[in-house]
Amino acid sequence: MVEVKLFASLRTVAGEKGFLTDAASVGELLREAAERYGEDFAKRLQIATVLVNGKNIAHLRWKRTRLKDGDVVSLFPPLAGG
Amino acid sequence: MIGGYMGKVLQVDLSTGAIESYSLPERMLELYVGNKGLGARLLYDLLPPMTDPLSEKNVFIVTTAPLTGAGAPSSNRFNITTKSPLTGAIVNSNCGGNFGVFLKRAGYDSLIITGKASKPVYLKINEEGVSIEDASELWGLDTEKIQEKLTAGTGKLVIGPAGENLVKYAAVFSQERAAGRGGVGAVMGSKNLKAVIAGGKKRVPVAHKDKFKDACRKWRQLSREHPATGEELPRFGTSIFVNKCNATHTLPTRNFLHGSYDEADAVSGETLAEKHLIKNIGCYGCPIACGRQVQLHGKNIKGPEYETVGLFGPNLMNADLKAIIELNYQADLLGMDTISLGNTLGFVMEAREKGLIKTDLAFGKIDRLSRTLDDIAYRRGLGDDMAEGVRFLSQKYGGEEFALHVKGMELASYEPRGAVGQGLGYAIGSRGGCHIAAGYPIYLEANGPITVDPLATTGKPGLVVLNQTTMEAVSTIGCCIFSVYMFLPKALLELNARSPLISKIVRSTFLYGGNIIGKALSWPAWTLPVPAPFFMLPQVQTHAHCTGERYTLGKMMELGKRVVSMDRIFNLREGLTGADDTLPKRLTDELQRAEEPRSKVTLSKMLPKYYNFRGWTPAGVPREKTLRTLQIEEEPMLPQTAMGAASTV
Ligand code: SF4
Repeated sequence: MVEVKLFASLRTVAGEKGFLTDAASVGELLREAAERYGEDFAKRLQIATVLVNGKNIAHLRWKRTRLKDGDVVSLFPPLAGG
Repeated sequence: MIGGYMGKVLQVDLSTGAIESYSLPERMLELYVGNKGLGARLLYDLLPPMTDPLSEKNVFIVTTAPLTGAGAPSSNRFNITTKSPLTGAIVNSNCGGNFGVFLKRAGYDSLIITGKASKPVYLKINEEGVSIEDASELWGLDTEKIQEKLTAGTGKLVIGPAGENLVKYAAVFSQERAAGRGGVGAVMGSKNLKAVIAGGKKRVPVAHKDKFKDACRKWRQLSREHPATGEELPRFGTSIFVNKCNATHTLPTRNFLHGSYDEADAVSGETLAEKHLIKNIGCYGCPIACGRQVQLHGKNIKGPEYETVGLFGPNLMNADLKAIIELNYQADLLGMDTISLGNTLGFVMEAREKGLIKTDLAFGKIDRLSRTLDDIAYRRGLGDDMAEGVRFLSQKYGGEEFALHVKGMELASYEPRGAVGQGLGYAIGSRGGCHIAAGYPIYLEANGPITVDPLATTGKPGLVVLNQTTMEAVSTIGCCIFSVYMFLPKALLELNARSPLISKIVRSTFLYGGNIIGKALSWPAWTLPVPAPFFMLPQVQTHAHCTGERYTLGKMMELGKRVVSMDRIFNLREGLTGADDTLPKRLTDELQRAEEPRSKVTLSKMLPKYYNFRGWTPAGVPREKTLRTLQIEEEPMLPQTAMGAASTV
């Protein structure tokens, strides 16, 4: 299973901290998340940062990044702080 | 006089009681503008070289900027500049409390304090006059009680017991906001100055009123519509970075031994909002309002910021958010910088494990911490040594390789082995291990929405130069650094997310273009004669409408560069050298993660390029040509005639 973790407003909109999935790729996982939490969430997902085991998918294979058992996928909206 | 300025500086000599005011040369204002830029120039001109920071000869400077009090969003900052007792280098501590606004209402742009009072005093400033008042009764009060005792309806600048007892990282407070870093509170304490209050009804003159108002309105709208500054930051506060830093291996854990912490979520901004937040609060006139109001024992108090949470939490192996809230409040009342404090505690805990220091402080053990905070502020037992900071402790007890400081200033809450550009930033920051002086490259490496390869050294010198230059300029014109988050506009975020190709182009612009940008930033202002894009940097145009001066992107970047090099020549004069641009061995020699061979900071691959982009020699000294281009004169700009023409207040 792959663990999906949600943060900041994505967590608020989803109403939970995450879910488990057996999605085989990031693209599949994002589609599943969008369906699971509805339109507002899906819109936010469009500009979300996706990390697989701490690595931005921009440095992996983008949405085609393959997922395997035990991977952790973290989803963040654009953040500011410090 | 151009818009934005009240036209007068107030200078008070606490040794003689002399109080006078004078105008600064227009050229000085044109080149150094306000806040940290002007503070650096004034300190360079007024402080005799190699002065002991806690001697009466040190100069304590409060500067404001044209935008302070003028009505622009997120722009009511003031700055404290002095020679730091913690580092011996320059310190410029920026604060969002309301003192700057009130200082201008009293009719002054800046306040310069020299000398030392023979007994505790406070300074009272208003339109009618300025007086030095007895503070014997106020000495010993915490930062909250003293503010309650002083005249209501004024802007206040105060220290707590830590400042009185010369804790090397004592802070200055204005409302609940701190000018935290570098021991500016100890400098006030060394002068027997408990507080300054200012008040009045004067208004800041604005050059182009209608254009200025319009720019402020548009800026507010941009700020509100941006997903980061309009939603996430107000809703979750600065600690929203806990989980993101944790996920990207940049959250200091166990005295920076690791970059992530299993229980990070328990102390995150999300948990703070869910379990403790009453409402978000802001600095005066700020639409973002990133501050937290929480409840403790039935009382509404300020909640902790990201830096404090990181360094009192994961860095001490502490997952108890309520304890962090309590400790943060206690540190504020005592008047101490929580960044240096969290590092000092972490260092002592590790030194104990290694048998270097005898103490019962230990990672994960929080019941002793409250007493230790008091011990530090009142300099009792080991607390007396801890009040000197991590550098002193490591020199006395050993453990220099895990003493997390640069130039004597403890590191902020980012583990740079997960974002190596941040490591370069820490190493070259003028005031030491400060995330802001570093230029905050980590935002484009790990915790922001668009990030380059965090472990590559390629492009990082350019990235640091770009960020640092922009942030120094924005800070100098009076704006909160958080307003720079709009630098990545929503449209760019959407574009970046649209396709891998576009994202690659955007990221490559930062990574590979970083060096080109870095190089380009060593050219003079006239090479960039275009206006700063309002939708990315609304601060610049707003400043221009306030002052009535034309401000191009080139001019703004030149201002940032001038401030960085000005700080540098001050530090070189005080005996610092390029050899001080370094990091503790833990970060340069030890891998953060055994499975990741790039997880350490290789400074030698970045530092020479950084110096080159800044127009400095390989030894880190600004070249004569650079100083000429930036119009930094080594001769004092503040002529004796300015002070000679001073009028007694
Ligand atoms: S963003 Fe936060 S720190 Fe900055 S001015 Fe606004 S409230 Fe203050």
